[in-house]
Amino acid sequence: MGQHQFEIAYVFEFFYRLLPSLKVTLLIVGSSIGIGTIIGLLVALPQLYRIPVLRRLSQMYVSFFRGTPILIQLFLFYYGVPEVLKLVYVDLTRTPALFFVILTYSLHSGAYISELIRGAVSAVDRGQVEAAYAVGMNGFQAFSRIVLPQALSISIPVFGNVVIGNLKDTSLAFTLGILDITGKAQTMGTLSQRFIEIYISLAALYFIISFALQKLFDRLEKRLLRHEPAAAGLTKDPLVKISFLRKNLAASKWRRKEARL
Amino acid sequence: MKLDLSFIWTALLQLLTAIPTTLAVTGVSVVCGLAIGTVVALIRINRVPVLNAAAAAYVTFIRGTPMLTHLLLVYFGLPFVIDAICESFGWPFRSVSIPMIGFAYIAFSITAGAYLSEVVRSGLLAVDKGQIEAAYSVGMTTSQAIRRIVFPQAFAILLPNLSNSTISMLHGSTLVFTVSVVDINAKSQIIASSNWKFFEAYIAAAVLYWGLTFLIERVTAMAEKRFQMYNRGGVS
Amino acid sequence: MIKLSQIKKSYGRQEVLHGIDLTVGKGDVVAILGPSGSGKTTLLRCINYLERPSDGEITIDGFTVHCKRPTKADIHHLRKKSAMVFQQYNLFRHKTALENVMEGLVVVHKLPKEQARLRSVELLEKVGLGDKLDAYPSQLSGGQQQRVGIARALALGPKVILFDEPTSSLDPELVGEVLSVIRKIAKEGITMIIVTHEMSFAQDVASHVVFMDNGTIVEQGKPSELFQSPKEERTKQFLKRFAPESAYSI
Repeated sequence: MGQHQFEIAYVFEFFYRLLPSLKVTLLIVGSSIGIGTIIGLLVALPQLYRIPVLRRLSQMYVSFFRGTPILIQLFLFYYGVPEVLKLVYVDLTRTPALFFVILTYSLHSGAYISELIRGAVSAVDRGQVEAAYAVGMNGFQAFSRIVLPQALSISIPVFGNVVIGNLKDTSLAFTLGILDITGKAQTMGTLSQRFIEIYISLAALYFIISFALQKLFDRLEKRLLRHEPAAAGLTKDPLVKISFLRKNLAASKWRRKEARL
Repeated sequence: MKLDLSFIWTALLQLLTAIPTTLAVTGVSVVCGLAIGTVVALIRINRVPVLNAAAAAYVTFIRGTPMLTHLLLVYFGLPFVIDAICESFGWPFRSVSIPMIGFAYIAFSITAGAYLSEVVRSGLLAVDKGQIEAAYSVGMTTSQAIRRIVFPQAFAILLPNLSNSTISMLHGSTLVFTVSVVDINAKSQIIASSNWKFFEAYIAAAVLYWGLTFLIERVTAMAEKRFQMYNRGGVS
Repeated sequence: MIKLSQIKKSYGRQEVLHGIDLTVGKGDVVAILGPSGSGKTTLLRCINYLERPSDGEITIDGFTVHCKRPTKADIHHLRKKSAMVFQQYNLFRHKTALENVMEGLVVVHKLPKEQARLRSVELLEKVGLGDKLDAYPSQLSGGQQQRVGIARALALGPKVILFDEPTSSLDPELVGEVLSVIRKIAKEGITMIIVTHEMSFAQDVASHVVFMDNGTIVEQGKPSELFQSPKEERTKQFLKRFAPESAYSI
């Protein structure tokens, strides 16, 4: 380092050259959030319905994926899954690394999403379900028409955090040789020896995507919370809104879990 | 190839030596981050002109970018800045003499500062306004009110979030391998590749991180109990 | 019309209802009074199966549920025969006043949307909220929310409407508007069971008054009898505490 003078022009050039790799990053984020949502739902259900043994298992699952670094999980699945499957004569040695990356990120975000679902559902006031029963709805109708829509609007900001957190986590996929924007930036850095410029453009690129996602989720939340003007009007300051939700939706328990890097 | 259970144990024992590094990186970043975060939170709550905008930009930028980029930017960018400054003032100090782990400390403190400023801010805002008014009414000054009344209550409120951030910093500390610092993760990579037993080594590392996470959670739960004595039975 | 026999309810080992028998005729307005913790709200919620009674039988409009082991279909069928007005209103928070009233009609009774809409508008006008059709619950006062709650209950055309302390979450100045709506529909001959603390209202509207304490019915009868000459000591004591209020309303 230090051989080159810092030149801002390179920042723009690198930024432009990083763009094609963005589709790898977005592919990982998109597919792992998609699969993670399904996993999250499956993991949350035993806990919501208090199914004996399964409930313990899903707690273990969540605890493991929240309790260990994503980097370790990546290595663990990359090296471990083929070995385990070898025992049942399934050969994964030629499977591309991207498969394991998506697998790991799906399982990882699945744990967070299950927590989110559990929290959102229990944050919906019990009286809403009672009222639904009282007008004669059955359990499924009460869940799908009353609880789910409300839980959905409550969970949007946390879901946004999970997605953005997932985006930032994908920066670790380079350790398995994936050429996402981080992986690409590393190669370009080594080739050009202009590390500062390349990492500034890399950071800028991540920032722009997270920022756009944040705006998107803010708007979505405002739309879904239009029935709560007191909450929706405060979206400008997320923290005030959090304290509003604390008081009114008993959401504090799960919201405390949202702080993640 | 079969799973070598005894090697997991061997690896675990070897990994123990790397725990201090992991804890040092996590601890330094959380403590410095808490200091930065408190200053930033106070700036933002009191809407200090100019600084407020700068603080908001800092928090938004850090939260919008991966921790890895913070480390890389500090690692590659900071020497430039330091050397330029030292040269212009004629100081003999050069960035080469900064140990690798120093960059990790600095970068992760910057990361943690942004996240913890939000934690501190929400904690402070959650303290009822009436508490400050009551403090004034018994004749306290603003700084007394903040130190004696607001901070203790805010701390109890932000403890769970602090614990989550600490866990995130613990997990994030695995990134130090990119600047050649040997923490638990880097050590497990070394053990894995030198023994050609990847799966076993990473299982051991996962177990260790899981245990440390559990420990942080337990300690927080205990601290929470102690700090929230005044709040017993309260649901809000 | 409605017959409860030997309704029992326990939480764990503690029995909170010790075998309640109660008969309500068509068009009756029954007020259930009693100190807090007497089990009156629990009893009301049992009728709508929001609480599961541990034992006993509930009959509404010729349909009987045996509470020992009811089937899901039984419970569903029973619920359709009654409607509930909650203490905390429990309006669906993500739906407008109009949608709240329509919801049950469309989802449960499978009425075509247009028809459900007409009926709902009519009912909201009846409770004096014709101008608040598109307001969300969070934009309405407590009294207005509770009137929507009443319209929602009426819309289902239930055999009986259950009121669970409909005015006790309201600010005093809003109580009147809700009570006058209840009074209005009571006159139309709809069967109602009301758990309330409003003595004068009970005296005025109810055709039958039940006094509960410690999970049993202590005394019941016409309001004139029960309020003027209570027989049981516990009833006397209870009414005495409310004496000033009932005194001025007479």
